[in-house]
Amino acid sequence: MNRREALQRAGLVLGYAVSAPVLAGVLKGCKAAPELTFKPDFFNPDQAAIVSEVAEIIIPKTDTPGAKDVGVPGFIDKLVKECYSKEDQDRFLAGLKEFDEGADDFMDLDHDKQVAYVKKVHDEALAAMKSGASKERPFILKMKELTLVGFFTSEPGATQVLQYEAVPGAYRGCVPLSEVGKTWAT
Amino acid sequence: MNLNTELQKNNSFDAIVVGTGISGGWAAKELTEKGMKTLVLERGRMVKHLEYPTAAMDPWQFPNGDRPTQEDLKQQGVQNRTGYTVKQSSKHWFVNDLENPYNEVKRFDWMRGYHVGGRSITWGRQSYRLGDLDFEANLKDGVAIDWPVRYKEIAPWYDYVEKYIGVSGQNEGLYQLPDGKFLAPMELNCVERELKKSMMDKFGRMLTIGRTAHLTEKLEHSPQRGTCKFRDRCIRGCPYGGYFSSLSSTLWAAEKTGNITLRPNSIVYELIYDDTKGKATGVRIQDAETGEQTEFYAKVIFLCASTFGSTHIMLNSTSSRFPNGFGNDSGELGHNIMDHHLSVGANAEAPGFDDMYYSGRRANGVYVPRFQNIGKDKREYLRGFGYQGGASRQGWMSMVAEMAIGADLKQAIQTPGMWTIGLGGFGEFLPYHENKVYLDKEKKDKYGLPTLTFDVELKDNERKMRKDMSREAAEMLSAAGFTNVKEYDKEIGPGLGIHEMGTARMGRDPKTSVLNKFNQVHACKNVFVTDGSFMVSSACVNPSLTYMAFTARAVNYAMDEMKKGNL
Repeated sequence: MNRREALQRAGLVLGYAVSAPVLAGVLKGCKAAPELTFKPDFFNPDQAAIVSEVAEIIIPKTDTPGAKDVGVPGFIDKLVKECYSKEDQDRFLAGLKEFDEGADDFMDLDHDKQVAYVKKVHDEALAAMKSGASKERPFILKMKELTLVGFFTSEPGATQVLQYEAVPGAYRGCVPLSEVGKTWAT
Repeated sequence: MNLNTELQKNNSFDAIVVGTGISGGWAAKELTEKGMKTLVLERGRMVKHLEYPTAAMDPWQFPNGDRPTQEDLKQQGVQNRTGYTVKQSSKHWFVNDLENPYNEVKRFDWMRGYHVGGRSITWGRQSYRLGDLDFEANLKDGVAIDWPVRYKEIAPWYDYVEKYIGVSGQNEGLYQLPDGKFLAPMELNCVERELKKSMMDKFGRMLTIGRTAHLTEKLEHSPQRGTCKFRDRCIRGCPYGGYFSSLSSTLWAAEKTGNITLRPNSIVYELIYDDTKGKATGVRIQDAETGEQTEFYAKVIFLCASTFGSTHIMLNSTSSRFPNGFGNDSGELGHNIMDHHLSVGANAEAPGFDDMYYSGRRANGVYVPRFQNIGKDKREYLRGFGYQGGASRQGWMSMVAEMAIGADLKQAIQTPGMWTIGLGGFGEFLPYHENKVYLDKEKKDKYGLPTLTFDVELKDNERKMRKDMSREAAEMLSAAGFTNVKEYDKEIGPGLGIHEMGTARMGRDPKTSVLNKFNQVHACKNVFVTDGSFMVSSACVNPSLTYMAFTARAVNYAMDEMKKGNL
């Protein structure tokens, strides 16, 4: 039994649930981990926390909503559970573990260091993909893909960051971009 | 009156149509409008126009970004071979593969849906005429048998169906792609215009906007249909009736006559043949929900159950007169399977148009009519191919491969990505006797009916053509100044064109064909087969318009014959 399990069991024995962030806080001394914005169904609380933070780093809240605001972490949890094969799920979790280990506990880093680490891993992964050194899409790029899908198929992503017309009514094939404005969501 | 004659009376009609897709809808419309009391049988569930459950849904209303779940893939793994049909927004239009199995000697992709409207709900809507280049091809090349029809005989029927369904397109005056009766064409975008100009200047080849069964203008005779709203959600069913389907158009027209009885959940498993009369007297059905078996009777029967659907019924209809399947004196029933071979072509990037974009979602692309083996052009293979494709600017998905993340990514994504353009070939597939489908009577489906086994492959002519299909596309894209040109050739199963044809071909000689030139079974005059099974060659164009034209013509002929007392 490791320390985490021991604490969780203690919680059960004492009749109260130890929430993931509290648990994380206990485990790591003092640093308070951010509250999860969703109840994970597939990920464990630690994995869910990392997925949430990475998604928010890929698409942060600015003057428009970010990944957490529109429910991207919950979207990823559900998609990996329902749409990934067992093999792909295992690969995703192994990639997540490797990502976490590379940071020597990602959730322990402060926000700026988390952003810098994500950026570094991301850039290296892209470079490896582009040079053909890496064939399989690594964890960070799967995360990026899932974050983009979750975000831009959400209403705020489609209508506030991009633009969306449910019923365009006409097709104009050759129009100055300045007239159209920004990228269509679909 | 005893029970038997009572049943006979209640279950008797002037005509029976089997199937409600493109061909069945047309047969129903034409027969009922000519006053025939018509029973229309559909093996799948009932669907009425406007009953499209996902048609009005926005992207955020679909779970998992509209992707298939592992459970979906378990149920519809074969249907998912297209890569675009088993989504939350469209999977209900495709069969459950576990409940509807078939057998593959070699990989064969049989994509279909069982419901009223059939594949007319999910079809690609591209509508082109065959011309004499196609109708004369088998004769000139010494391949298979000659078409018993020439363009001038079918041209008026093309006119007739185009005017009724509404086809948007541009007349170009080409011998290999006859002009039609078109509604206003849709627009090309900036990059497509560039390619069109380059292809004409440098190769003397045509690029035209796709001819598609969408309304760009209102049709007076079909007030229930509105114009295309450029949503590009056609595969979900169109609540505006913006494109042609049996539901929005022909079945609506048949309903209006008061002469149609539509019976869903009715699996026709056999034709009833009366040896003394030398005619079919009706069909036997099994109710898909109750399992109950019933007979229906009529003076004339139209099989429009799709190429393999109709072939299944005919192969399963054996009698002392037809021991090898209904009307199968020639031994050709189930043979000569054709499709269009595709998933081969080239893609490129189109620099230099960064300040241009488009608005609206055009559910249509460009079309490059066949230019091979025409006039002085000679290739090392027979026949040829056309291209379908188009240009667009990349959207948010392309950002996965871009360096930006964070606030930078949110900013960068608001400017559309690079222009890309692609041309994908649609190649003619020769009719080979040995490409066939047959019944496996040992392996039955959940209704206790024999399953179909496919034994189909591409051969040397198709393989040679494929090399040319990607090479020519790349050459034309390069010549237009596009960059990063990449050829592709994806191995797919035949069938994935979803243009299956040829298993009950028409011809002049009953010894070598199943149907005559009017889609009438040579050996049984009151049975007509008007789905893709009648095709003698595949041409390289999308075939649905041709099924419609031949169906309307066949009904007209059947009515004349009936008046003359010949049926």
